[in-house]
Amino acid sequence: MMQRLVNSKGKRNGLVGILLLLVLPLLFQDQAFILDTMILMALWGFVACSWNIVGGYGGLLSLGHAAFFGIGAYTSTILFVDYWVSPWIGMIVGALLAGLFGLFIGIVTLRLHGPFFSLCTIAVTEVLMIIAINWQEVTHGSAGIPVPYRPGFINMVFDNRVTYFYLALGLLAIVYFLSLWLNRSHFGYYLVGLRENEQAALALGINGVKVRLIAMTISSALTAVGGTFYAQYVGIVEPFHEFSFHLSAQIALMAIIGGIGTAGGPIFGAILITLLGTLLRATLGGAHGGIQALVYGLLLVIVVLFIPQGIVPWFKQVVAKRKKGVVHV
Amino acid sequence: MDIFLQLLISGILLGGVYVLVSIGLTLVFGVMKIVNFAHGDFLMLGMFGAFFLYQLFGLNPYLSLLIVTPALFILGLIIYKTIVGRTISRPHVVQIFSFIGLSVAFQNMALVLFSADFRSINHPVSTKVIHMGPIHISFPSFIAFIVAGIITILLFIFLYYTYTGKAIRAAAQDRFAATLMGVSIQKIYALTFGIGIGILGIAGSLMVPIYSVYPTVGEQFVLIAFVVVVLGGLGSLPGAVVGGLLIGLIETMSSYFIAPSMKQLVYFCVFILILILRPNGLFGKEGAAEEALE
Repeated sequence: MMQRLVNSKGKRNGLVGILLLLVLPLLFQDQAFILDTMILMALWGFVACSWNIVGGYGGLLSLGHAAFFGIGAYTSTILFVDYWVSPWIGMIVGALLAGLFGLFIGIVTLRLHGPFFSLCTIAVTEVLMIIAINWQEVTHGSAGIPVPYRPGFINMVFDNRVTYFYLALGLLAIVYFLSLWLNRSHFGYYLVGLRENEQAALALGINGVKVRLIAMTISSALTAVGGTFYAQYVGIVEPFHEFSFHLSAQIALMAIIGGIGTAGGPIFGAILITLLGTLLRATLGGAHGGIQALVYGLLLVIVVLFIPQGIVPWFKQVVAKRKKGVVHV
Repeated sequence: MDIFLQLLISGILLGGVYVLVSIGLTLVFGVMKIVNFAHGDFLMLGMFGAFFLYQLFGLNPYLSLLIVTPALFILGLIIYKTIVGRTISRPHVVQIFSFIGLSVAFQNMALVLFSADFRSINHPVSTKVIHMGPIHISFPSFIAFIVAGIITILLFIFLYYTYTGKAIRAAAQDRFAATLMGVSIQKIYALTFGIGIGILGIAGSLMVPIYSVYPTVGEQFVLIAFVVVVLGGLGSLPGAVVGGLLIGLIETMSSYFIAPSMKQLVYFCVFILILILRPNGLFGKEGAAEEALE
């Protein structure tokens, strides 16, 4: 009874939230700055959630998700600029390519755990960056590729930021519901089981290889979709950002600060980090670009040391404790 | 033939620098079973230290290592006490990302304080070249190589012939048995981390005449250090020496015979292959990679 009450309350809150999210951008239609922040929040939330599938639920701490992001961004942009293929199709091709690449990385790293897995993903991303810089006939080299500004649905270029926001929100919703499904599905349990105690999980008959590879494939493909969206929104792809270690680290740290292995944590992390970045940039100006990253580096250290479960689960625990206290009184 | 000899010597000299950069990383991993992802940023701080000592006080970089090294040693102790010490025996996510956070913080602190400019010192030593018949040897690289050799030998003597050194090795072999024998693990770990970082002070001072300094310079070198120590076997000191020299040679040879822009590609591919085929590296203890699991 109590449970149902809470659930229906939760559902109502959820509906109010969704409505709010749909109406909110219309209020800020003229304020490009706020809309831009909201779009980036949704995009990074989407990418952090995608990382979370393999890094959070699976416990494989990838520091190379920029590789998949970059594959997505480059595939759709190259197809669009050089072959006039719609980015919508490019997005799917990019996701397929990144998924295959993720599967490949998953296969070759099956024996690697912990920091060794992270190191291997870093190296793979570096290799892709070198290729992107040097394979000039295809990738246009270190200058990157500008995405031509021709607004239109088929080109996935919009003159109205609100459309970008809805698109990013749609992507975020997909990965959010996927995470919710992971929270209560067999597949999700297998993944968490492998993370918590691989030996025990394997002994119980979980097909560790299959679960790990599926998680890698899905996570990589989704991250590539984020890459395509980013390229279309920002209007340029360049190897030094798309395949950078910084991007990989940023994706992971959003998920970790928010709370890994939860559905909402990475989204909260993305919102917090993006907000922090925007606010610091607004107050300090561009001259001190380093300060925002300095702050979120320190924030990451503090979070992993003192609340390693992440802010969202920690906050829930605090609230639960307080409620319990009230009942006792 | 001359060319080959020249490449061989340049490669080995370059390898000496890489040994110096990598040896602290492998020492810390061998003893504490943690991978210091912020290793390169400590190097960056060391390089900036030597750079500013020269720029502001005109101190010869080879003398400045007498200041930079103890300073980094103390910084290592402080970072151990405040951060690293709290991550021992905790999940990977804590161990890896406390270092990633530290790395991001250090890089951006340097960016705020020193700006993103590439800086190099303008000292006659930087461009000095030793001529030996047809072979040209860069003087700063030569010094770096010699010092790398001395430091490595001193480190071996310290680890094998002093009481503290033996305690460090004992802690590396079996944390619990060492504790039972009366070794204070926390002290040994703090000391090891301090030494691992302190060596970067030496490396930084010796590298300032050779390389430019900028806030993300560490990123480039930490990747090489990872390649070196994984190739040699994470945790193995002889492995780091052989790995460093090998990577130096591979880099020099591949940039001559393939293309300068491809040298990184070659050693990253070596790195990935080693990780996949033999994660314990050439000299790593059997199961070193699995040990990191616990």
